[in-house]
Amino acid sequence: MAFQVTAIGSYPRPPVEGGEFRLRKTLQGLDRGEATTDDVLAAEDELTREILAEQAGAGVDLVTDGQVRWDDPLTRMAEGLDGFAIGGLVRFFDNNTYFRQPVVKGPVRRRAPILLEELAFAAANSTRPVKAVLCGPYTLASLSADEHHGDRAALLRDLAAALRDEARDLAAAGAPVIQFDEPALARIPGQPPGDLEAFAAVAPTLVDGVDATTVLATYFGDVSALGSALFDLPFDGFGLDFVAGPQNGELVPELPGDKVLQAGIADGRATRLEAVEELAGRVNDLAELVSLERIWIAPSCGLEFLPREAAQRKLRRLAEVKEAVT
Amino acid sequence: MTEGLWATQVGSLPKPPEILAARSDHAKGRITRAELRGLERTATEDWVRFQDEIGIDVIVDGEQYRGDMVAFFAEELEGFRQGGLVRSYGNRYYRKPVVTGELRRTHPITLEWWEFAQSLTERPVKGMLTGPYTICDWSFDEHYDTREDLVMALAEIVRQEALDLAAAGAKFIQIDEPAVSTRMDELELAIKALGVVTGGLDDVHTITHICYGDFHHAYPKMLELPVDQIDLETTNSNFDLLEEFRDHPFTKSIGLGVVDSHSHRIESADEVANGIRRSLQVIPAERTFVDPDCGLKTRTVDEAKRKLRVVVEGTRRVREEVGLA
Repeated sequence: MAFQVTAIGSYPRPPVEGGEFRLRKTLQGLDRGEATTDDVLAAEDELTREILAEQAGAGVDLVTDGQVRWDDPLTRMAEGLDGFAIGGLVRFFDNNTYFRQPVVKGPVRRRAPILLEELAFAAANSTRPVKAVLCGPYTLASLSADEHHGDRAALLRDLAAALRDEARDLAAAGAPVIQFDEPALARIPGQPPGDLEAFAAVAPTLVDGVDATTVLATYFGDVSALGSALFDLPFDGFGLDFVAGPQNGELVPELPGDKVLQAGIADGRATRLEAVEELAGRVNDLAELVSLERIWIAPSCGLEFLPREAAQRKLRRLAEVKEAVT
Repeated sequence: MTEGLWATQVGSLPKPPEILAARSDHAKGRITRAELRGLERTATEDWVRFQDEIGIDVIVDGEQYRGDMVAFFAEELEGFRQGGLVRSYGNRYYRKPVVTGELRRTHPITLEWWEFAQSLTERPVKGMLTGPYTICDWSFDEHYDTREDLVMALAEIVRQEALDLAAAGAKFIQIDEPAVSTRMDELELAIKALGVVTGGLDDVHTITHICYGDFHHAYPKMLELPVDQIDLETTNSNFDLLEEFRDHPFTKSIGLGVVDSHSHRIESADEVANGIRRSLQVIPAERTFVDPDCGLKTRTVDEAKRKLRVVVEGTRRVREEVGLA
């Protein structure tokens, strides 16, 4: 482990101003029958390479593939699982971003690996280690409509087993870090906090036999209401959003000495750029409670909520903060 | 108008291919703004006449001249700059504006379009504005200290626009606040800001449109929004919301979304009529406006026309049943 800069997950797909948005054009072409799925794949590959290089160039140590092949944060996973259909548009938390709601119609099973191929492509085209990012079972269950189980505990068990199989395959293929995204655990303003007990019941299943560093990522709100019991969950690291959840700071002293703190310190949803001194100050405060080599600094969430230029600036800023602190 | 169950439309209507092409040509400098405007006027006229002919009671201009509902206002206000592309969903993106300075309205923004549309029909045309809370929530802010400061600055601007529409004779003014149901901790702020906008509007039926929210948390607090009508996307939520109205009566007029605005499937007039019948069990006809869930701009022209026709047809059937026809 080392003090490092990491990305959280998504990355803007549009180009910088004036650039050609090939992926969008190709997908539009596919709709009109003027492009093939191979054309789309090629455009996705090209954009993935570009984003991997861009993160490395900005100084990110642990990168992601940017999830450019994902229609939204949920359906990529849901479509890969038996038992799901895809329903109407729903707002993704408090963002002006929407997802097609997964609808559970039958027993949830993984029929084949879902992200294996795209993450292998990313790993083969990256100069930096690539973190695998999965939507977690609790968030997937919370944001889906369940027309089959009628019992959330049963749905969670199904999901955890399916996602564990995926995580095992990714780990076996060489993913050094596997992150499970669980924004639904956070207290989003005006909504109740997540149900830690329900998630804790399936967390051991989720990481069972997964041979990689596992991170539980929360964002868009604070998880302080869950208390230090959050850190009893069997993950190697925990991601906290210090921007949308300033109270998350209260939890930091409770972090066990062998766990990683993935600290979301730069606002991943605002173009306003934080000053280096401001962010470095936050890192120094955290470093009084958690040894620096166990701190990974990151944007507060995935970066697709920002235009491309703003995302680049945020990552470069985090790299500058790393320089300033070390 | 009869005295209940009016057919209307939420706001946007699809742009025909020639407008899409002209917008692209204008962006590339191939045609002038005046040329684009001429085409937009023709398309607006087509949509107004279509709604008039099929029997929509309260008409919209269809927003042929708008891109995004927030960016359109931002482009006309001092203090905003155009932002970069951000994903909305799937392969759809919008330009998210950036507040870079003190906001100021230097001229009316929607007035001329409203006057033009109203000149084409005897039926009332809605004034269509985007609410202060939503403009704030869907923009980046690099200037104001707090969200409240920005929302209240925007409230004053939208109020000026609403007053201009009312002075010109608009009897229906809709202030869209789709972002309102997102963050319950800021609902109070949204209510306060909307109060600034509707405060000076006498003799105007005021409406707000809300969508994609967690209604179960927002209701019944939502009824404090200072408007006469709340327009809801009831179809996309399987009319679940209506059940809530049994426990806490819906005290305003409702804009009842009866067709899904984001699916290609054309609902039947039967489905529409059934939705209206369900709603009539909890909200009386004299407080019911029937419309699609949301703006129809993401549909094709043909899909939108067919959806509007079933809205009118379903409404007509139930009107007959309850003796309003």
